[in-house]
Amino acid sequence: MSTNDTEDDRTLRDRVAENPRPAAVWLAGFAVLILLELGRFADGATNLGIIAELGVAAVVGTAKLIGGNVGSTVADPLGPVVFALTLVLILAGLAGIIRSLIPFSPTKTLDLDVPDARRVLVDRVLVTAALAGLTALLMLTPVGDAVDTGVAAIISGLDAASNLPTITSRELIPNQGHRLPEGGWEGTFLGLSPAVAWFIRVCVVYGYAFLLLYWFWRGYLTYRDHYREADWAPIDDTTNRLRGHPWGQAGLVIVIMFVVMAVWAPALGPVTAEENLYQPYQNEHTYLNDNGELETSAHGTLNIQTRSNGDSNVGPFSYDQYDRWAPFGTNSDGKDLFTFLMYGARTSLVIGLLATGLSAGFALALAMVTAYYRGLVDLVAVIGSDSIQSVPFILLVLLLFVVFREADHPIVSLYDGGILLALILAFTYWPALWRSIRGPSLQIAQAEWIDAAKSFGQRPSVTMRKHMAPYVVIYIIIYASLVLGTIVITTAALSFLGLGINPPTPEWGRMIAEGRSFISTKSWHVATIPGILIVFVVTGFNAFGDALRDAMDVQADVGGEGGGGGA
Amino acid sequence: MSSQWRYFAMRVLLMIPVLFLVMTMVFLIMRLGPLDPVSAILGPEAGAGARADIKERLGLNKPLWQQYIDFMWTLISFDLGQSWIIQRGLSTRELVAARAPRTIWLGFWSITLPLFVGVPLGFYAGLNSNSLGDYFASFMGIVWQAMPNFWLGIMLLAVLRQTGPGGQFGFLPNWYELGPTTQSLLGTPDLGFMSIGWLAVIPIPVGFDIWVFLSALKQVAPAAFVLGSALMVTEMRIGRTATLEQVHSNYVETAKAKGLKGRTIVWKHIFRNAMIPMLPVMFSEIGVLIGGSVIIEEVFAINGLGRLFFQAVYQNDMPLAGSLVFVFTIIALLFKILEDFLYTVIDPRVGFEGER
Repeated sequence: MSTNDTEDDRTLRDRVAENPRPAAVWLAGFAVLILLELGRFADGATNLGIIAELGVAAVVGTAKLIGGNVGSTVADPLGPVVFALTLVLILAGLAGIIRSLIPFSPTKTLDLDVPDARRVLVDRVLVTAALAGLTALLMLTPVGDAVDTGVAAIISGLDAASNLPTITSRELIPNQGHRLPEGGWEGTFLGLSPAVAWFIRVCVVYGYAFLLLYWFWRGYLTYRDHYREADWAPIDDTTNRLRGHPWGQAGLVIVIMFVVMAVWAPALGPVTAEENLYQPYQNEHTYLNDNGELETSAHGTLNIQTRSNGDSNVGPFSYDQYDRWAPFGTNSDGKDLFTFLMYGARTSLVIGLLATGLSAGFALALAMVTAYYRGLVDLVAVIGSDSIQSVPFILLVLLLFVVFREADHPIVSLYDGGILLALILAFTYWPALWRSIRGPSLQIAQAEWIDAAKSFGQRPSVTMRKHMAPYVVIYIIIYASLVLGTIVITTAALSFLGLGINPPTPEWGRMIAEGRSFISTKSWHVATIPGILIVFVVTGFNAFGDALRDAMDVQADVGGEGGGGGA
Repeated sequence: MSSQWRYFAMRVLLMIPVLFLVMTMVFLIMRLGPLDPVSAILGPEAGAGARADIKERLGLNKPLWQQYIDFMWTLISFDLGQSWIIQRGLSTRELVAARAPRTIWLGFWSITLPLFVGVPLGFYAGLNSNSLGDYFASFMGIVWQAMPNFWLGIMLLAVLRQTGPGGQFGFLPNWYELGPTTQSLLGTPDLGFMSIGWLAVIPIPVGFDIWVFLSALKQVAPAAFVLGSALMVTEMRIGRTATLEQVHSNYVETAKAKGLKGRTIVWKHIFRNAMIPMLPVMFSEIGVLIGGSVIIEEVFAINGLGRLFFQAVYQNDMPLAGSLVFVFTIIALLFKILEDFLYTVIDPRVGFEGER
C-alpha cells in the first residue's frame, strides 16, 4: 500500500492506470448506487456543511466574545488585539489536530533545515500561520464574499439534489392511502394494498443496503486482486476464516439488518414517527368509513380506537379499522408498534455506539499509557478499574443515573436521557475493556521494536500510537462488539425500570414495560415483539464477536462470554 | 509461601484500596454530585429555617473533609445511617437485616437450579461433541444468553399463568397446583420454615416445616431460574469445553487402552476433572447475580435487597442507596476473594498471565 518501501515503486494511481478496467467497472457500479440515493447523500452533505459552518462560527464567535469582554473591561484598542490573539490560539489548537492528520510534514515538504527535535513545533507554527492567513483572507478581502457566493451555489445545488426522489424513500413507494368506495386503493404505490406497498419498500430498502455493502466488499476484492502490491497480507487469512464461519456470517447479517433498521427508520415504518408517534394530532389520515364515505381525522383521534390493551386489539400483520397497515400491530396507545421499534433501534444504536466508542477509546489510550510506563501507573489503573468493577454494574448505573436525574442536570434533557446514559455506560464499561487488552498491551510493550523506538529517541506518544496501538486495536474491536450487545440489553433494562430513555424518544425496553400487563391477554405482542428483537440483535452481536475472535486468531480470554447476564 | 499463595494474598490486599475507593466514589456521587440532599428531603419549596435545620442535622455545614471522614467512619463501623424516605427513621441495618434473607434465598437457588441443567447439558455436549444434540444445545445456549432477564421473567410468568385449566398452555402441568398450592406467582416467599430455638445465645434449628420450605422454594423458583440463566449458559459452555479437553487427553487414552469401561472413564475420570474449572466460574458470576437481583426482584415482586435498592433509588432515598451499594460491594468482594481462593486451591496451574 505504501508507495516506496518495496522494490515496486509504483503508486496506486500508476497501478490503476495500467489496468483501469476493474476499477472502472467498480466505480461505475458505485456511481449508479450513489445516484439511486442521491437525495439522501445530498442531504447528508448539507448536514455536514451545516456542522462545519457552525464550527467556524463557534471559533470566530468565541474569539469575538473574549475580545469584546476584555475590550469592555480594559481599554478599547485592546479588544481587537485580544480578539486576534484568541483566534490565533484557537487556530493553533486546531493546527495541532490538523498536523497529526495530514500525511506529510510541512517542514520536509518546504525543505526547511530544522533539527528533528523542533520539527513538530515548527510544523505546528507553519500550519497555524497557514490557517491564520486563510482566515484573514476570508475575513478581510473580497475573496471571502466570492467564497460565500460559491458556497451558497453549492448549497442550493445540494438542496435541489436532496429533493430528488430516492429509491428507498417513502414518496417513491408510498403505502399510506385509503380504500376507494368502488374498491381498490388510492394514494398507494401502483394502487396496491398498503401491506404490499409497504412490503415492497422494505424489500427495496434492504436490497439496496445489502447491495451497497456487497459493492464495498467487491471494491475490496477488486483492490486485492488487481491493485495490491502484496500477494498476501495477514488480513487475507482473517477474511478467509470469516468466510468459513457461517455462524459468524449469520451474526453479521443480523447486525447489518439492525443497523439498516436504525439508519432507514423513517423509510421502513408504515407511517412516519412524526405523524404517528410525536405529533399525532397535527397529522391527518383519510379513510373510508362504514357508510362508504371518505373521512379524515387526526392520527391521534384514530389511535384511541386502535389501542392494543387487552380489550381492543390490533395484532401483528393486520390492518386497523381505519385501513392503516400495522406490521407488528399497535401498542397500548394505539400507535404503530413497527414504527416505534424502528426508531427504537436508532436509539439503541446511537447509545450503543457512543458508549462503546467512548469506553473503547479511553480503554485503548489508558492501556497504551499503562503498558508503556507500567509500575505505579499500572497499579493505580488496576485499583481504579477494580473499584468500578466491584460495584455491581446495574447498581452503579442506576445510582449515577438517578443522581443526575434528580438534580435536573441539563444533560438529562439531551436525547431524553440517552446521552447521559451513554456517558454512564462508558464510565462503567471501560474497566472491562481495559482489562481485556491489558495483557496484550503489556506483551507488545516488551517487543524489540518498542525498545528500538525508545533508543531512537522517539516520543512516547508516537511510539504508543504507531508501534503499539495497531496490535491491540484488534482485541478491543472484538470485545467492543460483544459489549455492544450488553449495552443494548442494559439500555432496555433501564428503560424497562422507568429510568433510562424518557418518552417520547422510542426505546425497546420501555415498550416491554408498557406491554407487560397485557402479556396474558390477546395483546401479547406489545411486550413480546420488542423482546424478540433484542434477543435477535444481541445474538447477532455475540455471534459476530465470536466469529471475529476466531477469525483474527486471538487466543486472549476476553473475560465475559458476550453480553447478557445481569440485566 | 508458594507463589500462588503470595498472589492470592496480594489480591486480597488489593481489595482494601478498592473498597476504600468505592466508598470514596459513593461519597463523591452523593455529596459532590449535582444532588442537593436538603431539597431531596424537604422538597424544593422548603423555608430557609427548615433547610438550615436539616443541614445542621445531616452535618452538611461541616467542612468537606470532615464530612468525608464522618461518612467513611460510619460506613467502616457498619453504622450505615438511616433511611430518609422509604421508611423514615428506620436504620439501614434493620432494613437490610429484614430483607437480606429473601435475597440470599433467591441467590442460593439461582446458583443451585442452573447446576441441574447447565452442568449435565455441558457434559452431554462435550461427550457428544459435533453431534446434532451438541449443536442444538450450543445454539440454544447462545440464544438463551442473549435474552434480557427482565423479558425472560415476563415471558415465564405469562406462560406459567396460562398453565391453569383453560389457559393456552393447558397441556403443561398446572403450576398453581403443582406441589404446594400458590395463590400468586408474584410475591415474597415466606421463609419461616425453620423454627429457631436458642441454646443460651447460640441459635439452633429445632423444627423444620417441609411444606413451608417447599412453598418458599416454589415461590422463588421461577425468579431463581431466570436469574440463574446466565450462569446456566456459562456452566454449559465451560462444561462442554472442559469435557472436550478431558476426552482428548492422554490419560483417557490410557484408561481406554487398559480396557476400562466407558462409563467408568466418564464418571471417574472425565467428570471429576471437568468439574475443576467450573467451580470458580460459578463464583465469578455472583457479582452478576447481585446486580440482576435488582431487576428480577422488581419483576417478581420479591421484597429483597435488590428491590429495596431500586425503591431507594427511585424514590431518591440517597443515603439508603449509598449504604446498599456499600453492602452489595462488600458481598461482591467477598465472593471475589472466594473465587480467587478456589482458583488457588483447586488448580495450581493458575498462572500469572499478564500479572507480574
